[in-house]
Amino acid sequence: MNVKVSMLALAVLAATGSTLAGSAWADPGTTVRPVDLKAMPASDAKTVLSLPKDAPVDVVTRQGAWIQLKSGKTTGWAKLFDVRLAPTGGPARASSNSEALNLALGNRGSSLTTGVRGLDADMLEKAAPNPAQFAKLQTFAQTAAEASAFARAGNLKSRDVAPLAPADVAAPATPGAAK
Amino acid sequence: MSARRAIGGGGTLLAIVALLSGCATSGGGQPSGTDILKGVLSGYSVGGVNVGAAAGVAMSANDAMREIPEPEEIQMGNDIAAALLGAAPLVDNRAQQVYVNDVGRWLALHSARPDLPWKFGILDTDSINAFATPGGNVFLSRGLVMQMHSESELAGVLAHEISHVVLKHHLKDIQKNATKNMALDLASLKAGGLVGEAAQAVARVGMEGFVRGLSREDEMQADRLGVVIAARAGYDPYGLPIVLQDLAALPQDESAMGQFLHTHPAPTERLAALEAIMPASWEAWSIANPALAGRFARTFPGQGVAAAPAAAARPAAQKPATPSKPAAKAPAKTATPKPVP
Repeated sequence: MNVKVSMLALAVLAATGSTLAGSAWADPGTTVRPVDLKAMPASDAKTVLSLPKDAPVDVVTRQGAWIQLKSGKTTGWAKLFDVRLAPTGGPARASSNSEALNLALGNRGSSLTTGVRGLDADMLEKAAPNPAQFAKLQTFAQTAAEASAFARAGNLKSRDVAPLAPADVAAPATPGAAK
Repeated sequence: MSARRAIGGGGTLLAIVALLSGCATSGGGQPSGTDILKGVLSGYSVGGVNVGAAAGVAMSANDAMREIPEPEEIQMGNDIAAALLGAAPLVDNRAQQVYVNDVGRWLALHSARPDLPWKFGILDTDSINAFATPGGNVFLSRGLVMQMHSESELAGVLAHEISHVVLKHHLKDIQKNATKNMALDLASLKAGGLVGEAAQAVARVGMEGFVRGLSREDEMQADRLGVVIAARAGYDPYGLPIVLQDLAALPQDESAMGQFLHTHPAPTERLAALEAIMPASWEAWSIANPALAGRFARTFPGQGVAAAPAAAARPAAQKPATPSKPAAKAPAKTATPKPVP
């Protein structure tokens, strides 16, 4: 059964600690074009459901180029670019950025302390240099050797990748419902 | 001062040349302002005529757009970084800062400028933004980092900023706008006084650049190069599109996005451009990497791998923010994997 297969795949991904998008769990979205949901995150996987453009979906998780969607009782994988997330419900005019963000981010629970609220144009233009903070910044710098060790610990392996040329034609229009 | 009269309308250009040169010397000895000016002018010739000898009359815009030597670029960038840190301080969390430096330096090693003195910092502000200065200083706001769920997303954003540095976008912007706007003239050339004033003036142009933003094409170019750098460094290159997809879902107004919207093309536009150029063959790189997921979740608790129940994922707008409580973001099945030795 296809749903079982994809749920198994999800379970495996979750158990192995893949880059799941926690906040997107069951987030609503819509397809930006007709989409064939695949049983697995691969183009040659079996199609479990064909959706039209602008179909409402729930986003189960994301895995790089792939996004797992639920439509009705069917779950399957589409391309990341096939889906637009529904606007988050943060208040349009919050009293502070922090409030808007915390709501928009689903209360993600940053452990960081509160610093500057909005970093606006005025603050940028009128800022006086802070040499002490710059000195502190320098203490965080990592050497090439340290960064390479960090990469090895993360099983990151360098690849040969050709540069990308700009698209010849205008980028495909994406409906801007988020605006 | 007779030199000032002699140069007339070219004063701004001359001052800029002196300024940029002043940046370079500020790291070493402390030559006087007039020494610097003399040194700069004697090194300049326009159409075979030495500018210094000609009292600096015939400066052209091209002279101000000269290729700035790397040491000067680095000093300039450091001055801008210090100014930016005057606007928002660093998040007081060494583990997070070092982590971001590890990711950033690894990415930069896969760029065309691996040996710059790269430094990365999380600014303690809840605004969503990121900044790169000439010479290799890269900053992310805490608000932007809070958007992320994985190291590949962090890498995607850092690689975009690294690309701005590699492509010298801000450096060129500063040169262009300094020649247009800078009010500093040779009257400020006091012995020993140029270096500090020059540095501040350049930093000011750089900070104004953050407010003004780069061109749309610069941003698109940094997206194009950024995903390549992320891929070269071994990351899932779809980290940047994932962040953009989330940003596209935020209210597209100042309450959440602040300056970012004024200085960047719309996230949906950038997504469409990336979709048009990212090859299908890259999709094979979107595979789980437990080592990365574990260390991101450890560094940013509550933000990493999570599979929250649907009900908790999107709180009602009325629900008060309680940032101190990670809530239902870390269920048991996302337990942190063992560190990789």
